[in-house]
Amino acid sequence: MLIAGARRKIAAELIACLLEDRRIEKILAVGEGACPPGLLGHDPNRFMFHSATLDRRRQVDNLFLFEEFRERPLDTVVHLAFSGNPKGYDVSRHEYNVNAARHLLDASLRHGVGKYVFLSSDAVYAIGPRGDYKVAEDAELNLDPSSPKSVRDIIDAEFYCRAKMDSPACEVMVLRPAGVIGGGVMSGLNLLFESHPPVLPIGFDPMINPTTKERLARDIQLALMLRGKGVYNIAGPSPGPLTRFLEQRGITPMRVPGPLLRQANRLQRMLGQTRYHAEYQPKRLFYSLVLDDARFEAAFRQRASMLTEG
Amino acid sequence: MLRPDLMQALLPARERERIEAYALDDAGAGTDVFGTSATGIGNAYALAYWLHRYYFRVVSTGHENIPLSRGGVVVGNHSGVLPFDGVMISTDVFRHTDPPRLVRFMVDFFVYSMPYLGTLFRSLGQVPGTRRNFDGLIEEGHLVGIFPEGADALGKPAEDRYELFPFSHGHVELAARHGAPVVPFGVVGAEEQQTVITNLQPLARALNLPFIPVTRTFPWFGPAGLLPKPVRYFIHYGEPLEIDPAVLESIEVRATEVERVRDAVREQIRVGLEHRRLVNEGRA
Repeated sequence: MLIAGARRKIAAELIACLLEDRRIEKILAVGEGACPPGLLGHDPNRFMFHSATLDRRRQVDNLFLFEEFRERPLDTVVHLAFSGNPKGYDVSRHEYNVNAARHLLDASLRHGVGKYVFLSSDAVYAIGPRGDYKVAEDAELNLDPSSPKSVRDIIDAEFYCRAKMDSPACEVMVLRPAGVIGGGVMSGLNLLFESHPPVLPIGFDPMINPTTKERLARDIQLALMLRGKGVYNIAGPSPGPLTRFLEQRGITPMRVPGPLLRQANRLQRMLGQTRYHAEYQPKRLFYSLVLDDARFEAAFRQRASMLTEG
Repeated sequence: MLRPDLMQALLPARERERIEAYALDDAGAGTDVFGTSATGIGNAYALAYWLHRYYFRVVSTGHENIPLSRGGVVVGNHSGVLPFDGVMISTDVFRHTDPPRLVRFMVDFFVYSMPYLGTLFRSLGQVPGTRRNFDGLIEEGHLVGIFPEGADALGKPAEDRYELFPFSHGHVELAARHGAPVVPFGVVGAEEQQTVITNLQPLARALNLPFIPVTRTFPWFGPAGLLPKPVRYFIHYGEPLEIDPAVLESIEVRATEVERVRDAVREQIRVGLEHRRLVNEGRA
């Protein structure tokens, strides 16, 4: 199994989950730079880390040619490598986000990989006052020309995956998870929760259904281990108002008038009080976004017993 | 903040029991999947009950036509500048059904872009008027309220009182798709709570609002000028209409069914006007 984007917290959690399953013979984790400390303790017979630049076709291709995988080739690829941070966005970031998905998918198809999973985001959905109480996979996408470029990158990368979903030999999946809270992850929602204090617009309290790092890792594991392809939402167990989730964690937000939210966020970032970027999904704190993951529930979670029974 | 326990303490005991009897399907964070909260409903009912009983002194009949368990579409006329007619319908149905049922109206989108208002409406069970929201409500067995004249009808000028605007077609199509009955209702009284002289449409368009009325009291008395006069409401619910499933296949059948619903609403208005006349004459 190849996991691209090994530096992400969710990757570390997923790798730990997968290594508990003895049916997984070996995991190749790929990231830029040195192996993250959290991954150093894994059994070297079942885990290896390799540094590669994924926007280089040759380097991606080489990942499938390791001697370790000559007899038993890689059969599953998980693409988690995505740079969503809008700070310092430029063309190289775009090339990394979009080309990495393309190269990895092309190489997977060429080398006979049976399953390719791309971890997208709920940021691809359009948000506004016309919102549905639950957003299904066929909901309107955020194709607004003014949307952040990194969101457009995710949609571009998704389109590559969707173009190959008819492949008979490889199950291509796109997973769109709800915001992750806790675990130190770099999701927008978690960065908001980690702010001191979180700044919210006056008079708005959107509905959300966040997930956790552990639940998301378990869901990705199900998606990898059970048969299925297509686009799926992955959500947390229960929806509720944003402030309710803050209250549960003992966090008191600060309120500012809606038009001043971005300026307040910018000031907070300058003062080091937050790493949250209000520009990334400017409407997220105003309007509800609750993912409908009924399809994932039916296709994967309800069949989870098949996984444990082998 | 108003304390829910104090708000609800103002209600008679049997009405508090009614709030407690309302079965909210808690999704895990204190609200249902639509964002409706028990506290929101309780507080709203605590206020709306007094408006219903003592301010608008609502007289209503035909509650036996409201489905007690299954989903349904409640359709009627709209007027009065501020949507107190919707509030009174929800309150009336809540008061006169056992177990209490909440009518969840499909609300114009602009409400949800306004601070506090959108959050308030959502916590009271009122959702943005999208097809998916309608589907979700009906599938979960809720009563869905629709004003097919649209929000524009709130700004109906005085000379058009009790004249129905053209109905949108969505409600019959959605009702047919789900096999849900359409319960027509007529509200009499809301049209007199404000006297609309004209509608400042260019300004409304510029501000992305459905209308900006000029009434006998607004804008002369500021926002207070939008408050309704204490007119008596007469609400009548008609027999449920089963919509011909052919509306999903034929535009002509759809137009015919929309007209049938419109005629049924018009009939309930006629009954309400007659009822009011008799009451005013001291004969009812």
